Amino acid sequence: MAKLKPFPMPKWGIEMSEGTIAEWLVEENRPFDKGTLLTLIETDKITNEVEAEAPGRFVRIIAKAGETYPVGTLLAVLSDGGEASAAEIDAVVAAFKPADSSFEPDTPVPSPAPVPAPAATPAPPPVPDDVAISPAARARAADAGVDVTGISGSGRGGRITAQDVDQAARAPTEPHLAGPYPLSPGGTAFASPMARRLATLHAVALDEITGTGPRGRIRKADVLARLADAAPPPPAPGEITVTPMSSMRRTIARRLTEAKSTIPHFYVRRRVRADRLLALRAAVQGQRPSVNDYLVKACALALREVPRLNIQVHGTEIHRFASADIAVAVATERGLVTPIVTAADQRSLADISATMAALAQRARAGTLKLEEFTGGSFSLSNLGGFGVEQFDAIINPPQGAILAVGTARPEPIDDDGAIRIVPVLHLSLSCDHRAIDGADAGRFMVALAALIEQPELL
Amino acid sequence: MQLPRDELIGAYRRMATIRAFEERLHEEIKTGEIVGFTHLYCGQEAAAVGVCDHLTDEDMIVSTHRGHGHCIAKGCDVKAMMKEIYGRRDGLCKGRGGSMHIADLSVGMLGANGIVGAGAPQAVGAAIAARLDGKGRVGLAFSGDGACNQGTTFEAMNLAVVVKAPAVFVFENNHYSEHTGDSYAVGTSNDIASRAEAFGMRAWRADGCDYFDTYEAMRELLDYVRAGNGPAAIELDTERFYGHFEGDPQRYRGPGEVDRLRETRDCLKAFRARVGEAKLLDPADLDRVDAEVAQLIEEAVTEARAAPPPDPADVAQDVYVDY
Amino acid sequence: MAIMNIREAISSTLMAEMERDSSIIVLGEDIVGGAGTAGGPEAIGGIWGTTPGLYAKFGADRVIDTPISESAIIGAAAGAALAGKRPVAELMFADFVGVSLDQLWNQMAKFRYMFGGKTRCPAVVRLIYGAGMNTAAQHSQSVYAMLTAMPGLKVVLPTTPADAKGLLTEALRGDDPVMFFEHKTLYGVKGEVPDGEHRQRFGEARMVREGGDATVVACGRMVNFGEKAADKLAADGIGIDLIDLRTTSPLDEEAILDSVEATGRLIVADESPPRCSLAADIAALVAAKAFTSLKAPPQMVTGPHAPIPFARELERAWVPSPQKIEDAVRRALAFR
Repeated sequence: MAKLKPFPMPKWGIEMSEGTIAEWLVEENRPFDKGTLLTLIETDKITNEVEAEAPGRFVRIIAKAGETYPVGTLLAVLSDGGEASAAEIDAVVAAFKPADSSFEPDTPVPSPAPVPAPAATPAPPPVPDDVAISPAARARAADAGVDVTGISGSGRGGRITAQDVDQAARAPTEPHLAGPYPLSPGGTAFASPMARRLATLHAVALDEITGTGPRGRIRKADVLARLADAAPPPPAPGEITVTPMSSMRRTIARRLTEAKSTIPHFYVRRRVRADRLLALRAAVQGQRPSVNDYLVKACALALREVPRLNIQVHGTEIHRFASADIAVAVATERGLVTPIVTAADQRSLADISATMAALAQRARAGTLKLEEFTGGSFSLSNLGGFGVEQFDAIINPPQGAILAVGTARPEPIDDDGAIRIVPVLHLSLSCDHRAIDGADAGRFMVALAALIEQPELL
Repeated sequence: MQLPRDELIGAYRRMATIRAFEERLHEEIKTGEIVGFTHLYCGQEAAAVGVCDHLTDEDMIVSTHRGHGHCIAKGCDVKAMMKEIYGRRDGLCKGRGGSMHIADLSVGMLGANGIVGAGAPQAVGAAIAARLDGKGRVGLAFSGDGACNQGTTFEAMNLAVVVKAPAVFVFENNHYSEHTGDSYAVGTSNDIASRAEAFGMRAWRADGCDYFDTYEAMRELLDYVRAGNGPAAIELDTERFYGHFEGDPQRYRGPGEVDRLRETRDCLKAFRARVGEAKLLDPADLDRVDAEVAQLIEEAVTEARAAPPPDPADVAQDVYVDY
Repeated sequence: MAIMNIREAISSTLMAEMERDSSIIVLGEDIVGGAGTAGGPEAIGGIWGTTPGLYAKFGADRVIDTPISESAIIGAAAGAALAGKRPVAELMFADFVGVSLDQLWNQMAKFRYMFGGKTRCPAVVRLIYGAGMNTAAQHSQSVYAMLTAMPGLKVVLPTTPADAKGLLTEALRGDDPVMFFEHKTLYGVKGEVPDGEHRQRFGEARMVREGGDATVVACGRMVNFGEKAADKLAADGIGIDLIDLRTTSPLDEEAILDSVEATGRLIVADESPPRCSLAADIAALVAAKAFTSLKAPPQMVTGPHAPIPFARELERAWVPSPQKIEDAVRRALAFR
């Protein structure tokens, strides 16, 4: 009986990871002698001739000319001479395990054939009483009442450090992400990366700037100096700089003065636990909505339950809206802008998130269309990103109400009789008493709190 | 020279084991399952075995990147070596070293080495230690026609002469330092032994493709060194049947060069012919050894392929004795 | 612009610069290959394929195949540079720095300073480095941090074909000793290379990605891994400044500090053990000069304090990977 063996993609040199079959030089089942040229294989360095190391024949040629295969791929099945049945060849093909020639560290190494289980492994030793912990960490753990047994220490040999205890004592936070930026154009100017970025952002021509860095490199400070030159000069000590308000600033000033002085504001405040909302968000795979996106959705659904807040006030008329059009306060270089997520009660969270991201980006770029920031039946203002705990907002006329949201900070709550420390949000609702009564505001807050505390409803 | 029958069979078995081990690796490496660098010793078997057959476990050798032959000749466990080359947990070095870094101190094998020329000074140190122990043992460095050009090798030879250490410098001249010929790279062309003589030690020359010639020269040399005469060197003229490393396309070889070497310079063929002519051994005895060796290598590969991989969690173990 | 890989960028730059400047010579083990064999010289062109054709064009006086003698290779480069030539010496594996260290450290690096600024030593040493090919403890190391620590040496690590050309040209036009590190897994990386003369200044980092949430500083193969991490993070709305240092000596401190001042978070990816590493150096720089900007402790993504092991499972556990870089960014973001 013929002896069969696999003919895999060979590895030449040190760094070959794949090869291309340029040509097969022998046919299937045609016997060849030692030294016969079997195939030409191209690598990125060279084309190699593969010679037969012994007489034989290919009983099956699997790889196709012109195709590229990783090192170790089964290219053909060799026989030492005789023919072989299809079943025998199939057995060789089935038994062949291609080798892993990958140079990528995150790819798992294929495990070898299973082996008999070793003798029973002893049970892991009990957790030793003396946890490895620094003195300062031990003291802080005692002060803060932190259980250190669950902490995996970052010190040498897993020793728990003071920083580890501090981290365990604090509730998880959600960083406010700036996200990816477009790559700044390279150009020929000799400038630091940040100088390039600033120059692009503020449309400054780098080749007009003289660099003050080593060997004349343009630095961040050089670009900032150019921007300052363009702007009014900085005040001398003891002097006050007078700048006229921009037209946008003047509009904001006028509208808010009018609102605060003519609308009878009243405020309803409430704390809500945010632990479930944050946990739900943390579990999202892929593109995560922001906390604010969740709040937009929650407000929209609460407005659907309490439509008396989903209004605009025009003189002696109350305009009630069919959909919840939520205006969201966005801080920009030029001032406050409130783009609107229309019909937020009918949108999915992902939709709100995408819409909001696009609106915020256009708001910062100053490219919002008029209809994108006029109208709206309710406003949301969130200063949690600045660590603000709680604040009251001025109503955004002609809307009837605005919700002000602070940061989520750990606070004790009564959880079915047990005191637990969880992230808590402070909400403050400003209402126009001409159109809205305290009981409506209260009902809205009940609905809103339920949605935030049971976020699976969102 | 009259070697007892058992010793002859043993010598043949060790050479045949090296040959079969390396020929099998040549096949297995093509599948890509064995990674990293593998430098095959095929063609040089008589050198390793002819030298190491005079050594005990207490004589210490330092090897090279082409070290499988030295390991087997010195008595390293063949199956554990195969597992090491497959990168297995139960390999001779727990999968950390691989082909280039096999060592087994329990049989006096101080390690294969990835740095050309690193071994010779270490052999001098082993020789100094051996002299202190006072048992007539030696420290022996295998080097090639590549390592003979490293400053470390020169320094080691001079130091050994200066301190009269029982050190042995074995230069296996396989005529290729990596991809370059010895006629180019060795300035004292084709004569490495003269360098040792220039440092003030006695040097022997022998045919490294002839077990008996190597064995006889080494007997004289070791008698001389063990008698307390200081270091000595030997140059063995030998051949490399494969490339520098597996995957070396060997375009520097002449047409038919390897076939000719395998025909005329094969130490196993020469051994068979010699013991046959002298009626020392029956060819059937050697065939039986070949079959047993083939069985051993088959088992070694099968077991190595099935052996468990190392645990990634152990990556930083064994850096120190105590840390 | 031509599309080529890093190997081709290096070999074509060597060819072009040798044509331009007759004082450039190259030397190393098997850079011609096959000397003294039946196959004859030029049978190899360097085991990494970076020096093919040089011998045929420039001959044995300028393209010098050496015995395996690393001290002599580097020492001869140092001497030839003092004597007015521009040698390019190849260490087939950067690990062999160990054999030739004195010539690099006490000689080449110190000549100019010791001799009162009266000499120049314009030698380029090409070191092929890096893990990822299971070449085990003595053929896988990234010794750039050690050489970066030596005053007098410049240390260069191209990660793109364009930079390979630009940085090698700059090295050959400059008058200081340059350690030119080539990662053995990156030779096949393809990209656009400017035609004609292209020089890339030293000490000028490259922004590979930009973003506002964290700064990832990397060099060599870690830059490519950083790109993979950045793409995964971007899918979650996390933007990073990914900085390719290009040269670790001189170091573009400004690029690092400006970025950290904006993001508040530093991650350094370094294919080395952690102690006295490039990661430690940059973490210290940022802690010292951008302390008030930091929102989280600097994260060092390095190998463990252990040599590089052989077996695949172990080597992969050792090497910093895209996943490990991504995890470190997320750790920094989760710091509270």
